[in-house]
Amino acid sequence: MAYVSMGEAHRRITEYLNRFCDAVSYQDSSMLCRLLSFSSNSPSLLSLADALNVFQDASSLIRQSDKFSEYGEILAHLFRSLQSYRVGNLVEAYLAFEKFANAFVQEFRNWESAWALEALYVVCYEIRILAEKADKELTSNGKSPEKLKAAGSLLMKVFGVLAGKGPKRVGALYVTCQLFKTYFKLGTVNLCRSVIRSIETARIFDFEEFPRRDKVTYMYYTGRLEVFNENFPAADTKLSYALQHCNPKRERNIRMILKYLIPVKLSLGIIPKDELLQKYNLHEYMNVVQALRKGDLRLLRHALQEHEDRYCIVAVFLRSGVYLVLEKLELQVYQRLMKKIYIIQKLSDPARAHQLKLEVIAKALRWLEIDMDLDEVECIMTILIYKNLVKGYLAHKSKVVVLSKQDPFPKLNGKPVGS
Amino acid sequence: MNQGGNTQTVAPLDPNPIEKRYGVEGSQVQTSPYQYSTGSDAASWTTHSVDNQVVQQNGNYSNSNYYHPQPPVPATGNVQETSSSTSGTVNVAQDYSAYTPYQTPSDLQNYSNTGYTNYYSGCYQQQQPSQPYTQPVGAYQNTGAPYSSFQNPGSYAGTASYSGTYYNPADYQTTTGGYQSTAYNSQTAGGYVNQTPTSSNQGNYTSNPYQNYTPDAANIHSATTATATPVHYQQNYQQWPGYYSQTEVPCAPGTENLPATSAFSQSFPVAGGVASEMPASNGQPAPSYAQNWRQETDSSQPPPQQPAAAVSASNNAYWMHQTPSQQAHYPVPPQNHYQSPLETKPLYETPIQGHQRATYPQELNSQASIHQAPLGYRQPTQTTPSVDTQRVSKIQIPTNPRIASNLPSGYTKMNKERSPAGATQTPAYVSVSMSNPKGHTSAMPEPGTFPKALCGFVERAFARCKDDKEKASCQAALKKIITQATNDGTINTRDWDIEPLSTVLNTDVTNTESSSAPISSLQNKSPTRRPKSRWEPIVESKPFVKPASTFTSGVKFGGWNHPNVNNKKSSETFQKVDAVTGSKPTYFAQNSAKKSFQRPVKRQRFAGGAIDDEESSDSEKELTPYYSSAMSLASSADEKKRRDSRSKRFEKVQGHSRGNDIPKPKISNVRRGTALRLGEVLDESCGSRAVEDMDWDALTVKGTCQEIEKRYLRLTSAPDPTTVRPEDVLEKALSMVQDSPKNYLYKCDQLKSIRQDLTVQRIHNHLTAKVYETHARFALEAGDLTEYNQCLSQLKILYAEGIEGCTLEFAAYSLLYITLHSNNNRELLSSMSRLSKEAKGDEAVRHALSVRAAVTSGNYVMFFRLYKTAPNMNSCLMDLYVEKMRYKAVTFISRSCRPSIPVSYLAQVLGFAGTSSEGTGEKENDGMEECSEWLKAHGASLIADSNGDMVLDTKASSTSLFMPEPEDAVAHGDRYLDVNDFFTRT
Repeated sequence: MAYVSMGEAHRRITEYLNRFCDAVSYQDSSMLCRLLSFSSNSPSLLSLADALNVFQDASSLIRQSDKFSEYGEILAHLFRSLQSYRVGNLVEAYLAFEKFANAFVQEFRNWESAWALEALYVVCYEIRILAEKADKELTSNGKSPEKLKAAGSLLMKVFGVLAGKGPKRVGALYVTCQLFKTYFKLGTVNLCRSVIRSIETARIFDFEEFPRRDKVTYMYYTGRLEVFNENFPAADTKLSYALQHCNPKRERNIRMILKYLIPVKLSLGIIPKDELLQKYNLHEYMNVVQALRKGDLRLLRHALQEHEDRYCIVAVFLRSGVYLVLEKLELQVYQRLMKKIYIIQKLSDPARAHQLKLEVIAKALRWLEIDMDLDEVECIMTILIYKNLVKGYLAHKSKVVVLSKQDPFPKLNGKPVGS
Repeated sequence: MNQGGNTQTVAPLDPNPIEKRYGVEGSQVQTSPYQYSTGSDAASWTTHSVDNQVVQQNGNYSNSNYYHPQPPVPATGNVQETSSSTSGTVNVAQDYSAYTPYQTPSDLQNYSNTGYTNYYSGCYQQQQPSQPYTQPVGAYQNTGAPYSSFQNPGSYAGTASYSGTYYNPADYQTTTGGYQSTAYNSQTAGGYVNQTPTSSNQGNYTSNPYQNYTPDAANIHSATTATATPVHYQQNYQQWPGYYSQTEVPCAPGTENLPATSAFSQSFPVAGGVASEMPASNGQPAPSYAQNWRQETDSSQPPPQQPAAAVSASNNAYWMHQTPSQQAHYPVPPQNHYQSPLETKPLYETPIQGHQRATYPQELNSQASIHQAPLGYRQPTQTTPSVDTQRVSKIQIPTNPRIASNLPSGYTKMNKERSPAGATQTPAYVSVSMSNPKGHTSAMPEPGTFPKALCGFVERAFARCKDDKEKASCQAALKKIITQATNDGTINTRDWDIEPLSTVLNTDVTNTESSSAPISSLQNKSPTRRPKSRWEPIVESKPFVKPASTFTSGVKFGGWNHPNVNNKKSSETFQKVDAVTGSKPTYFAQNSAKKSFQRPVKRQRFAGGAIDDEESSDSEKELTPYYSSAMSLASSADEKKRRDSRSKRFEKVQGHSRGNDIPKPKISNVRRGTALRLGEVLDESCGSRAVEDMDWDALTVKGTCQEIEKRYLRLTSAPDPTTVRPEDVLEKALSMVQDSPKNYLYKCDQLKSIRQDLTVQRIHNHLTAKVYETHARFALEAGDLTEYNQCLSQLKILYAEGIEGCTLEFAAYSLLYITLHSNNNRELLSSMSRLSKEAKGDEAVRHALSVRAAVTSGNYVMFFRLYKTAPNMNSCLMDLYVEKMRYKAVTFISRSCRPSIPVSYLAQVLGFAGTSSEGTGEKENDGMEECSEWLKAHGASLIADSNGDMVLDTKASSTSLFMPEPEDAVAHGDRYLDVNDFFTRT
């Protein structure tokens, strides 16, 4: 930390105070954002933090002038937070920031217009980030992380401030998205439900009225929730919306959306092009897609069981919640396999091509290094027929699957399996 | 009560929210108060006042009366006037808690303003009394500034109106004009204005006042204002301390009260009686007390009031009243006052001075100069203390107050101390009062004469203080110095500007110990005693009220002084404020410093309820009118009995004998009673020990029972060691249960009792895990999922603590349970991703994972194969899914297979064969029978094929399959609660 003289410290603090007060009085939202954005690590904020650590009695400076003291509470907490943040005491920083946020929200409530929405966004964002950092610190100290939870309830409070009639309501979706992020991180996604309900049912909200950025984020998270619920058509709609409206330059965001959209599309029978996977660096899906194309059950299973060698990828699937979705693709792979057998049989003996012997299927699976006896194969075929992936019937006595002569392997065409 | 009354008055006075709030409580009386103050109301007030005095409600009223008397005191109109004025004042004060100051102005005419000042900031009252109007004006102006600041907060839209009222008072002042105070006012006003800006806190203060109000007085207030202000409280408190400290200085002026002191001394003797207290407070105080404290005193009070006629007396009375009555209400009011008080207080001081002498102007100036808002506040508060001191021969009050606040029992001590201290009371107050005594005749001049330079000196000294401790000691030192200077007459001659601060700061410790020994000692003691005394003050106030009240006031002062010193400690100050307001406040002060404001608020409410009864319950608004009558009833024998019995309930715990419980109006007795009791219980529980501080080890039961077998009975009281088995016996009991041939219900019962014994003895070790594991297995065996879940959740905790057990086995169970029974994808994913590599290598876990895969894909063949090869108790969990899986399989098959499928095949695939495995040869047959029965039960159509074998007609079955209602289903959903089982158990 660079040495800062007392006078310099005083000057910096006063300058900051002046800027803050000016930003508020001129309703200069962007300036206010800059003044509050901790995580930007902007040089001016860092130097202010140094100054604060030199000049310990900043609150007396605040008190000195009416102009400052009007926001005395806000500023005092902000300074304390910044101080702690600078010296790396993130838990303290969070606690002070929480107080600051409360005071700020209180003040925000009193501002009639929504000019400070951007600044409020910054506060919401910062408190979440700070809480995550503080939790990390707590965890490393062997204490239970609880700050993110606290941040969640504070964000909920902010949501309450915004969710009303008036110009501030357009900010509600941003806070909702921050809440989503918090809840997803905490693993308490069920808490999202109440927010979603109020966004989607409250008459004060017109979804198209929200900023596009927030709409995309919102759709992304609700789409993810639908993936968990295995409601693939809905997930497809939401995630596709997010993809369509996402800024095409934000490749990272597009990748995040695709990470969920691809499995959803796959389970609806829509297979992406390889270029897409390559463009967005989604290599973990390469094998899955390949398996689907070729009906290579072994490849699929390997892709899903890569934890033997590449534990991390499976962990990714598990953590992101698409594991179960991908697992369900197995039936489609079987279907593809049957179709392959059917096609091969058709080449050699077109007359009897529609009769698939269980024995043959078992042999094909063995060739894929998957050992199944006839009972099991029969079971699989039963399921395939039941789920309408194969048209036909199974003659138990003769151990033969008799395929329908018309379209024995119907395509899903955007409909989920089993419907 | 006071609050209620105040609020009411406020309502009329202040159109603002507060008024409304107050208005809710309602009281016409309140509204009228203002009017009264104006004069025409006086008549009504007189009636009211009389009532009030007589009645408790009026506590406020009586107070107001007192106030009024003060100003008019000389005039005499004692009872009526006082009453009228008091009512006005009272109301104002109460209102004030938020806005009182404003109201006070209006009251000022009657002198009620003075009363207000006393109550709230004291400053107001003083000013009013001394040069009531002029001072008030100043005060008002000042208040106006604070108010305006309040307005800024926004919550109070009405502020503007308030300021207006203040200004009006100003007019009054001008009319009164005769008093130098006008000058003061103007000065103060200026000072205040400055102060307000200087202190950034003011804004907060404003809000704070509100908060305070809410807690104290008035729930009502809280309802409206409370929301906005909570945060503010702290700030206010801080300010308050400042005020208090200042007030201490005024105390010297307080000597004016000397006459009052005499009265007090008398009252103290009387002290035993509630009424006596009131007398003590110079009659006027008594009325105020009576109002606040008891209705009983009413009769006595009026007379006292007359004596009190002396301005000083009236002031004292006001203070007293304020303290007592305010205690409940006041907490809030003080804040308000403070906020506006900053300004008003100075005024207040001036009033005092005015009463005493011409010194006011000086003081005011000094305050103003000092004045950073805190200082100004302090001064006002000080004045209040002084008033108290005045009342009680000054000395007693100061010492006692703190003690009293802290320790109810302290009262007696305090009294004792007082008697000795009498002339030279240890507390700063005392010292001040000492100086005052001189002034008494001429006391006014003396105290009032605090030179500006001295104020500046004091200010500087406090500015040097870094923390509360330092401030407290500094304050004590200052008191000493000032007292000394006053005594040897150098106070005006000394050059305070060059007086070395070191004398104050260095001697801090010694000074505190010596000069303020009483205070410090009190404080020191207070911590220990506090827990007990928390409520005592209240109790005392009512029964022993008079002494208590004086004490409380004194206590308050003491508390305030310290707070004053520590502007920083908002919370503490807050508490102190509370203390000032009432005995309950002391409680707060004790705890509050550390604890959250919320708590204080709650307590305050309770305290308010206890003291004021009225305020305690919001819903009592309608009752206010009846309070007066209720108050009178409160003293009835009947009521006393009840109180006694009530107080006895807590005697054990508190160790204090509350001879008299808080007097409550009968009407609201029931409600309040419960509220109070709750509050008491709360306090005690909190006070005696915080939950986290509990020594659980000491409370843990050590069982002595040697019986191995024990029925489970849900505990409804603390466990009896003679029926609890120690660990070694429990171990035997466990193995007994494990080997027991009896049925699951018996085992469950036994295991539950073992678990209970483990829990009450807080045994957390491998045995605990073993018991839960055993129970979980038995539960699985019996298919009792609820019990299994209970055990599993306990096991998860135990495993997380690092206690060894069959972790992997239960991880597998857990996986299976989620897969098969909870159907929660997220949970499944998270528990899967949590599995370690080692866990994945475990047979049971791998089995569970395979089962999961089979289930999600619907692979029934795989499922039933796994079912047959399940390790541990995995099959038991799968058992519960078999039915579903079979049904699914048959549905699949009947949809997919044509034309038929042999039952023998189904029996083999669906796990019928082999499950009931007796002999190899019989297996299939057994499976066949069972299977066909099952199929029939599920609506499948079975036919015999050409070979005579049973086959499933899939086409016919595909539409006729259904899930039958489970045969063993019972209406209450728990088949283990079978009637027969029930009888066998009992």
